[in-house]
Amino acid sequence: MSNSHLFMKSGFIKTPGQNGVGRYICQLQRVVLKFCKNNGSSRGLRDFIEKELVDFAKDNPGTVVYLKPRRHRAPVIIAEYLNGERQYVNCHNYTSEEVSKWLNLLRTQAGNNDNIRLRKLWHTDHPSIQGPWTPYTFREPALNLVDFPNEELSKPLYVEPSATEKLLEIFKEQQRNLNILEKNQRE
Amino acid sequence: MAVLKRVQQWATFARIWHIYDAAWQNPFESAGVLKKYLTGLYKPIYHPMNDCGDHIVVINSAEIALPGDEWKKRVYFHHTGYPGGATWTLAWELHEKDPTMILKKAVYSSLDKNLQRRYTMQRLHIFPDANVPSDMLKSISNQIKQLRLVPKRLDTYSEEEIKSFPKIYDYPKPYILK
Repeated sequence: MSNSHLFMKSGFIKTPGQNGVGRYICQLQRVVLKFCKNNGSSRGLRDFIEKELVDFAKDNPGTVVYLKPRRHRAPVIIAEYLNGERQYVNCHNYTSEEVSKWLNLLRTQAGNNDNIRLRKLWHTDHPSIQGPWTPYTFREPALNLVDFPNEELSKPLYVEPSATEKLLEIFKEQQRNLNILEKNQRE
Repeated sequence: MAVLKRVQQWATFARIWHIYDAAWQNPFESAGVLKKYLTGLYKPIYHPMNDCGDHIVVINSAEIALPGDEWKKRVYFHHTGYPGGATWTLAWELHEKDPTMILKKAVYSSLDKNLQRRYTMQRLHIFPDANVPSDMLKSISNQIKQLRLVPKRLDTYSEEEIKSFPKIYDYPKPYILK
């Protein structure tokens, strides 16, 4: 996340659940294409209207398409969704292909996803079956019966043997060898 | 479900009480370990903005062991704010005045320097000896391992152990200090 996104609304991806109401239908309910009949910046949008708009409307009977010519104003597309959200796309100097692509995006999404920083690219209501971690999750059961403070638990996990301990070990081995020798000699 | 979720939340953010025996431990090395538990750094849910630090009860802080000649050389500086108000206290002097202070200061300076530091310190309970209030002792559920082995003094060995210890030769009597 960059600094320019600090004040952006954040959220998770969502589906239009709504208890089954409004599922399995196109979420784009109404689209308004606003353009100017003269101005060059609307040219792409005008081309789109001439060549492709009728097909678009036929392919998407669930979407209401409005055209709104207005003099000397910028071309825009306004999409309105089933969940009440509106999305505004400025089509200044767009070619007809670009307009087509944007319209396709508006048609396929479920709401206004503009200006939302997705915290994660996935979302689930049940992130873990095991349940969130607690301090007791992987705790050794034996610890429940211990009286604190406990000397044994307090000792460090690994200590290198000291010089004295090493000497003692050598001494013990010597004694063992001597004993074995004595036994062998007796036999 | 809401009840279950609420309890789940309590369980996840439950504060654990640890106990740490400071006898014969270097306070400056211990501070790093204690910091981990005080701020909750060891928890998988750790985040600098979530309040998941634990309580630590430190016992036997009077018996800490400073390395080298630190007792004589380490100096604690304090200034009252008035002219001539500066004092320099040696570690051994400070330890005589308050046997919990050296460890407390070591932990305090090892913590991150932010607004949370004072509140984190409130979760550290240091006792100069092993006398801990019983209500505190009841809530303890974990022991933090010491960094070093506590050395065993000669007078704690039994007669038998001393006698069976291997020797190359016995010193003649005039050489033994009584």
